[in-house]
Amino acid sequence: MSAPSRIGEVMALDRLVHEPARLLILAVLVNAKEVEFGFLEQVSGLSKGNLSSHMGKLEAGGLIEVKKSFRGKRPLTELRITAAGRKALADYRQGLAMVVQELPAPSVAAKRK
Amino acid sequence: MSDGTQEKLCELESLTREYARYSRSAGGLASVLGGLFCLASYLFGGLLPLSLAWRMALVALPILWLLARQVAARRYYQRLGHVEEQESTVDRRVHRCCAGVTVLVAVLVTIHAFPQAVRLSPGSLAYLALVWLLALAAWRWLRSALDFVVGTFLFCQAALVCAGFAYPVIGTAEAIANPPMALLALLFPLTALLLIGRGVSDHRRFRSLRARLLQFREAAGEA
Repeated sequence: MSAPSRIGEVMALDRLVHEPARLLILAVLVNAKEVEFGFLEQVSGLSKGNLSSHMGKLEAGGLIEVKKSFRGKRPLTELRITAAGRKALADYRQGLAMVVQELPAPSVAAKRK
Repeated sequence: MSDGTQEKLCELESLTREYARYSRSAGGLASVLGGLFCLASYLFGGLLPLSLAWRMALVALPILWLLARQVAARRYYQRLGHVEEQESTVDRRVHRCCAGVTVLVAVLVTIHAFPQAVRLSPGSLAYLALVWLLALAAWRWLRSALDFVVGTFLFCQAALVCAGFAYPVIGTAEAIANPPMALLALLFPLTALLLIGRGVSDHRRFRSLRARLLQFREAAGEA
């Protein structure tokens, strides 16, 4: 593959999914029916504000659904991945795998350095 | 994104899938309790004279077990936050089929009892109520095959003792009088033993899962 087409493939990666925190959120959601916000907070190590901001972007992009309710007096936020979110994650993985596969192997000289 | 990040994401996906099992299909210590309740219900129901206190205890067992499952899931196995398990299509079909059978049985029992509804004793009314409760429990909580068999037995035994009967225990006079029923009833304690084994195994897996989740969180925090 030529360099320009490789750059094209990199540019074609979904930027909404590509951001590490959003990728992590999607990776958690993809294998569950519904996930409580608290679990994401626990496993991601992200702050509440940071997580909420990424969550909002994914929701605006239609990749996740956010349900807000109350459990007793405590607010409860639950997240669910949408069909579009599943497809976006699968497409992203496929695209990334293609890009990585076609990267040139590091040369011996570069390894010595 | 490096291969290491890809690996981490795959690991996180697998950890989440494993953790989500404890919201529905994996009971851990609650499964062990269910198995023990099933053994107790089988032996005490069949061997001891059914006093009012014993009857009440046997009726309480399935309800206590369902409560224990919910408490164990919320307070222990899903303490990091609730993650609902995603059922496969096959699991969903099996579950709907099992729940459908219990509803069908409840409808048939009710139709059979309806002509004598006015003359039904309190024990028979409790029997009917428990048969319908089983249908509800099967729909809402009894998700795995082992849970379904053990839960069905606990509810059926509770319903029977309300009406003044119990499943016969192998080796007793009742079992000799009714061998097919005794053999059928033997299926339940055997399933209970399997459920206890699975519960212990799930609990061990959870302890290892919790350690891996904590390691992952620490690594994510450092990054």
